Amino acid sequence: MPEFSTETEQRSTGEARAGRSRGTDYSRRVFASVFDMLPNEDNPSPMVRINRLNPNANFQLFAKLEWLNPFGSVKDRAAWAMLRDLLERGEVGNGRGLVEPTSGNTGISLAAMAQAMGLRMRAVVPNKVPLEKKVLLKIVGAELDVLNDALCPAPGLGDGSINLAKTHAKASPHRYVMPNQYENPKNVEAHLHTTGPEIWRQTEGRVTHVFASLGTCGTVTGVSRFLRSKNPNIKVIAVQPSEGHDVPGLRNISQLDVSKLFDRSCIDEILEIDYELAYRRALDLCRAEGLIAGPSSGLILEGALRTVAQAGAGCGVMIFPDNIFKYVSSMIKHLPQLASETEA
Amino acid sequence: MSNTYAHPEVLVSTDWVKENLNNPNLRLVEIDVDTKAYDAGHIPGAIGFNWQTQLQDQVGRDIISQAEFEKLCSDSGISPEHTVICYGDNNNWFAAYGFWVFKVYGHRDVRLMNGGRVKWLNESDKPLTTDKPQWPAVTYRSPGVDASLRALLPEVMAAVSSGKYNLVDVRSPDEFTGKVIAPPGMSETAQRGGHIPGAKNVPWSTAVNPDGTFKSPDELRSIYLEQKGVDPKKDTIAYCRIGERSSHTWFVLKYLLGLNNVKNYDGSWTEYGNLVGAPIEKP
Repeated sequence: MPEFSTETEQRSTGEARAGRSRGTDYSRRVFASVFDMLPNEDNPSPMVRINRLNPNANFQLFAKLEWLNPFGSVKDRAAWAMLRDLLERGEVGNGRGLVEPTSGNTGISLAAMAQAMGLRMRAVVPNKVPLEKKVLLKIVGAELDVLNDALCPAPGLGDGSINLAKTHAKASPHRYVMPNQYENPKNVEAHLHTTGPEIWRQTEGRVTHVFASLGTCGTVTGVSRFLRSKNPNIKVIAVQPSEGHDVPGLRNISQLDVSKLFDRSCIDEILEIDYELAYRRALDLCRAEGLIAGPSSGLILEGALRTVAQAGAGCGVMIFPDNIFKYVSSMIKHLPQLASETEA
Repeated sequence: MSNTYAHPEVLVSTDWVKENLNNPNLRLVEIDVDTKAYDAGHIPGAIGFNWQTQLQDQVGRDIISQAEFEKLCSDSGISPEHTVICYGDNNNWFAAYGFWVFKVYGHRDVRLMNGGRVKWLNESDKPLTTDKPQWPAVTYRSPGVDASLRALLPEVMAAVSSGKYNLVDVRSPDEFTGKVIAPPGMSETAQRGGHIPGAKNVPWSTAVNPDGTFKSPDELRSIYLEQKGVDPKKDTIAYCRIGERSSHTWFVLKYLLGLNNVKNYDGSWTEYGNLVGAPIEKP
């Protein structure tokens, strides 16, 4: 197993500095290991102000660009926290790797990290996940199980992908352990220790609103708990796609019973937004702001703009989970004109 | 009203299965929607049947023939004297379908594991394995076909014209109303959406609890007989899209509620919704 730092994340600032690998210098953006690139308060993911799309001059609105994390999404944070915990407890190694149900991003992060440590990783994904993510999982070395998950609604069944991953972990414990992002408290702690403190520092404590989407709910729960500990008046606003949606990685509140990390008390307001707007707003972000954000970011933008339009002064931070490159096929499906005149 | 199922002997609990894992008179059979699930892990000793390739005729549209059923059981080490316990994913959808096929070919003692594989999976004391059992082959002879369990098209058409049957459509509300013809991503479909005239829509999942087990007798009686108006004095035909979800409801109506003469129409909407000239209700 290659040498890597287990000390660079989720510690207080001083400890993070002390634990960083020799040769890593955040100020020069030089890293001794890809694991040192993982975000923390001293090495935060960037925040960029929304300028042209924001209708309220008194309300500063920022996007936190999680696709600039080393494995390409906000899920780098939870994946690293869960994997590091398994490493520290000796749960992986000696032929035992990971199995995880994923809509793509967690699997990509876990698989890339696991491969860099010589560990196997099996990803169980619903068929509706876009082709780009399935191929990316294979590119980063994951074994892939693709399931048809949308046969017929049933109460309490849980996802087929969650059940199949649990089956692998239970039937083949010598090969797999399941981090289980839907139940693992490390998912929440990752955001409690990194995303939340980063936002607090990056806004110099001025943040008044946070906008996030709902999936496992680790992001919204962890960020909310940290920021409210600093300022209980901060508004935490979650956006969810309308029912029957087609936005990979997100969950409507009716689908949230599989996540043990959903804590309604951490959220001030849940905005339900027509899921088609996720795709249109993603296009707006690319064309008006130059931000190559994916459809979940588009959905969050729509929710934030609705709030900002009604608000007075404020400072909002939107957590943009990933970028548009993984969703080319989804964009074409929802905005078919994008595919026109693409061939000679 | 009593709070017991009409035929409680056809249902076994996960605990009972665990206690009987070494019982030589049992054969466990896993039948899943997701045919990858068995290979990923199953109850020790369980045989896996693939509903697509092993329970259906591979040329014509039909369940396997009696001879094919006998061969399947013989090769799998299942004798007519064995108690067969079916279980599977999606709250026993295809396990119920397998149960129905066993009953159609007259197997004496076949039961469902209440809650299916999801309940077993989520109980920490229940083991899973990837080892496939090697039960010695036997010679299985079916006593013959029990035609009273299966509705074919002529009987369905008679039911439509006479109005003397309960027709129970167990599909989702959107399939029942014709908003969609099949759930997303399904390859088996029909030319038209809607439902058989006179059918009542009781989605199959109405019968199960969040942990995958069947609801109590009183709850099932209240849902099917009181709220949905299934008349126990009439003969009943259950249908869905391809006959697997309706096997689940057929099981509920026949064995848990004890209704007389309940049939599964396995042709279901993919047969009826393709018929030229058949009457359809589409609100």
